[in-house]
Amino acid sequence: MGFFDKLFGKDSLNTIYAPVNGEAVDIKQVSDPTFGEEILGKGIAIRPSEGKVFAPCDATVDMMFETGHAVSLIADFGAEILIHVGLDTVELKGKHYSVHIKNGDKVKKGDLLIEFDCEAIKNDGYDTITPLVICNTADYSTFKISVGKPVNVGDAVIELGK
Amino acid sequence: MKEFSYEIKDAMGIHARPAGLLVKAVGDYQSAITIVAPNGKADAKRIMAVMRLAVKQGNTVTVTCEGADEEKACIELQAFFEANL
Repeated sequence: MGFFDKLFGKDSLNTIYAPVNGEAVDIKQVSDPTFGEEILGKGIAIRPSEGKVFAPCDATVDMMFETGHAVSLIADFGAEILIHVGLDTVELKGKHYSVHIKNGDKVKKGDLLIEFDCEAIKNDGYDTITPLVICNTADYSTFKISVGKPVNVGDAVIELGK
Repeated sequence: MKEFSYEIKDAMGIHARPAGLLVKAVGDYQSAITIVAPNGKADAKRIMAVMRLAVKQGNTVTVTCEGADEEKACIELQAFFEANL
């Protein structure tokens, strides 16, 4: 490891991996200003190609919304992560979602969290774009995102450093 | 310390969007702002903590403001709840 890597703490970056298969895009492309204007924190969004959400890192489930449309996780390294499956999908009240975890569960990167019916959600008139945001963005000085490309579950999408 | 109580009218309760707007609104104040809900209490400046309360329609929450600008915060946040929740 070079001098500059040490200087900038490159060895201490933590990684968040894609929770769904699809196309990773800049969060500013999300039409809902709650996400697009980063009110909840910085992050990325994925246009899903498959209706399965997996854990983006080792974490504890902080709040599994009973409607199945969103989950918040606290990463073992401290990041507060919100994954929100679709926009305005709270209105579906659980329809088209099935939940595989509960509050307080410890999950490993790649564990199945939520399944959703992508086509049915679209047919009901909702955008399935799935933002992943870091609610405690202010705790990190380094925030690198990888977007503008297809991603598979387990591909690195965000790197965080204190 | 100043406080007010409010019964949530929004059919979806305090889900991600209103939680985000609320945290943004309270960020403007120096005062410590706490929400007490049926499920517990939370620092209103922390999104995850606010969402964890899972506040639903019909729940009554009590918002307490404590600090230099508590009076202003209390009046303005009451207006925020009435407008958004």
